[in-house]
Amino acid sequence: MKRRTFLQLGTVIAAGAVLDGCRSKNEQLIPYLIPPDEGITPGKGTYYASSCNACPAGCGILVRVSEGRAKKIEGNPEHPINRGKLCARGQAVVQELYHPDRVPHPLKRNGPRGSGAFTRISWQEGIGLLTDRLKALQREQSTNGLALLTPHLRGTLAELTGRFMRTFGSTNHVSYELLTPDLLRIAARRSFGQPTLPYYDIAETRYLLSFGADFVDSHLSPVKYGSAFGEMRQGRDTVRGHFTYVGGRMSLTAASADRWMPAKPGSEGTLALGIARLILAESLYDSGALAMNGLEAKKLLAALDRYDLPRVAQLSGLPQGAIAEVAREFASTRPALALAGEMVAFQSNGPESVRAVHLLNLLVGSLNRPGGIYPDAGSPSGPENSFAELIALIETMRGGHVKVAMIHGDPLYSVPPATGFHDALAKVPFIVSFSSLLDDTALHADLVLPDHAALESWGDVIPVAGTREPLVGLMQPVVEPLFDTRQFPEVLLATAHELGGRMAAALPDESYLELLKGAVRKQAGFGAGVDFEAAWVDLLQHGGLFKTKSVQPTGYRWSSDAPPPLPEDPDFAGDQKTYPFHLIAYPATAFYDGRGAPYPWLQQLPDPMTTVVWGSWVEINPETAAEHGIGFGDLVEVSSPQGTLRLPAVVYPGIRPDMVAIPLGQGHRGMGRYAQGQGVNPLALVARQGTKQQPAWNATRVRITRISGNGELVTAGHPQGSLRSELVEI
Amino acid sequence: MNKVRLIIGLAIVTVAIVAASVLLYLLPLDVRDHSPVQPIAFSHKLHAGDNGIHCLFCHSYAAKSPAAGIPSMEECRACHLFISPNTPEIKKLMKYWEKREPIPWVKVYSLPDFVYFPHMMHVRAKLSCAACHGEVAAMERITRTASLKMGWCLNCHHQHKASIDCWTCHK
Ligand code: SF4
Repeated sequence: MKRRTFLQLGTVIAAGAVLDGCRSKNEQLIPYLIPPDEGITPGKGTYYASSCNACPAGCGILVRVSEGRAKKIEGNPEHPINRGKLCARGQAVVQELYHPDRVPHPLKRNGPRGSGAFTRISWQEGIGLLTDRLKALQREQSTNGLALLTPHLRGTLAELTGRFMRTFGSTNHVSYELLTPDLLRIAARRSFGQPTLPYYDIAETRYLLSFGADFVDSHLSPVKYGSAFGEMRQGRDTVRGHFTYVGGRMSLTAASADRWMPAKPGSEGTLALGIARLILAESLYDSGALAMNGLEAKKLLAALDRYDLPRVAQLSGLPQGAIAEVAREFASTRPALALAGEMVAFQSNGPESVRAVHLLNLLVGSLNRPGGIYPDAGSPSGPENSFAELIALIETMRGGHVKVAMIHGDPLYSVPPATGFHDALAKVPFIVSFSSLLDDTALHADLVLPDHAALESWGDVIPVAGTREPLVGLMQPVVEPLFDTRQFPEVLLATAHELGGRMAAALPDESYLELLKGAVRKQAGFGAGVDFEAAWVDLLQHGGLFKTKSVQPTGYRWSSDAPPPLPEDPDFAGDQKTYPFHLIAYPATAFYDGRGAPYPWLQQLPDPMTTVVWGSWVEINPETAAEHGIGFGDLVEVSSPQGTLRLPAVVYPGIRPDMVAIPLGQGHRGMGRYAQGQGVNPLALVARQGTKQQPAWNATRVRITRISGNGELVTAGHPQGSLRSELVEI
Repeated sequence: MNKVRLIIGLAIVTVAIVAASVLLYLLPLDVRDHSPVQPIAFSHKLHAGDNGIHCLFCHSYAAKSPAAGIPSMEECRACHLFISPNTPEIKKLMKYWEKREPIPWVKVYSLPDFVYFPHMMHVRAKLSCAACHGEVAAMERITRTASLKMGWCLNCHHQHKASIDCWTCHK
């Protein structure tokens, strides 16, 4: 063939190919074999009320279902927590249902641990394997060899797991979460004699002072407090509330503030006391409130003597003028409200620092007042020392005393390796995971008994905080289960039946639904005349029980025997010479503590501050970056006494020069195709600091080294363009 | 001289681009089959025409849903258990049923995602089905008679004084 003919022919073929590409094919129209009898109208949506369980806030949701498929989730306008609003994680709950890597049926390990080699088994066999192990424990009279590890459970599920473990005869029942508000509860108990979390009346306040509480991002009930913040700013005609944020890193919350006070990590409590002392010294306090709480200004001032302005300024790294100004503004604007969050709590002096913030609220008379703080009615009595329980369990496991571990959730990811959890778990001969995706823990399990997705489940969701009236949100299955999965509580019930004897007698309910109905019935306190079935349907239609039996409203009162809060100097792992920077591992807006990572919507959600998508990054102040020759997107190595990670740098003016920050949530070994291998898990760097009772996840020092210019950072915008200013001036 | 050549060249290029664009616009790029062969030779003429079965008998959702819907396999079978069960096409139908497989009908009318077309509103407005779908009762095999282009929709909306606000259809 001549060259010319070849070219001509080639062009014709190419043109044909291009034209063919334009052609749209006829699609297919697939009829139902047998139409579902539930009155489904194709093309029309049905809305079901349910509850979000993607974080402890427990918002109410409405799910649009058409042709028997869940399509879209929005907030339930009737739900008192979120009033129709919803965060991105809540929106992504549909992606849990349709995740292509869901575990579709029970699995048994058939390769070495962690290899991910499993074979399919039936439910009967799965539950049989578990009960055989449990029966062996009963026979050997070592029932304490069973351990159950879950996230913080509330309501009926907590009741059920508790009863299961008690009846079986095991005390190794730990419910632990990385971002647990335990420390806030401890602080509340020390100050007020009751472990209730605070309810912040942000909407009504006029001066908001947050000490590291990122209430727009993740703190306690972000949707609730996010919209309350909007109310505070714009909901009133004549008042626009003022907001000051204290904390070394500019979070989305901090970015919404009028004034940012980048205090040194660990010094927030000292700063609060400095402010308190100034308020006392200048007699700006509310004397009535002090008297009511049995405190004397003079004595208090003497107790806080050490917290004079120059010393506080030196410890916190903030200018004296700014501190005094904030103190005066805070004390002279009423109502004023101070909150303390995770950034403060997870320091070695956490609880005392949180108490120092409580004291501020007391001084300006903001306890139990509109625009102040109240005891929250969400779940008033949560765990106070789940970390200590976890450490105890790790010891037991290390001693080889745990023979069977039943695990819901993903502790291999979310428990920092510095606790020794990983090695201890490896000593457990039989691990059962109830995960619906092969997460890090499930990959190491011997048996996987997959749970339903949230949209296929029954349940009650009691919000951890964000309400002054106790309430119970209900979860109902909005679609038929897609796979051969079973709900975790159902598996517990089935196991108890198999075990027989005392277990079967203690857990007689045929199904979890029956148990749930019984609990709700009790909670609602329906009289004898009420048709419960009708009432139940009504509750499901509205998304839960929002008006329970009225309870005696409680208030905060400073305990007569509570000493003034005196936080010690913060304590950090790693010496300052070798490790010059403070590491902050904060919950990413999209992933919370890592639960959101498997869902592509969230992976693709640009971080609100840095616009990074898909991956991890470390935030470094421009000044520090320049000193170390680090440019935007360079690959850097971050080392702590605990470990080393490599990840791209984001040169970020919104952070103190002596601090670096890495978001939590990425770096999964498993958890499906979208999470696996994305980014790094900053918990690998976190050292075990603080006491047995108090985890201090933000008290580690690190050093940074530039490795190369290619960090493979993906951003959705031009953050350098918008972050070029030198925000931190100290 | 060179300048003149340049100008002529540019003019030719511009004309070519404009011509190409016009061509692209006019070309029937939507070359979907207007009368595709269906897996089973279903005759609308027989059902809707000769036997006078009303459209809504099979497309039963048209009056209450955006989608008109098509009968389920169960419904086809229910009739044909008794009506001419021995013809070759019905045997085909039964084979699908026995294998528990739905019939992969080929779609003749379809609109892109950005167009919201609710059947029920058009039915409620007493528009005859034939206004869009043509004389289906006379068709052996279903054939698309309308272009389904936006201009075609607008014309009808104009004639019937229906809303031509963008949000009416694009939402
Ligand atoms: S705040 Fe928590 S509970 Fe509420 S929607 Fe977001 S993830 Fe769900």
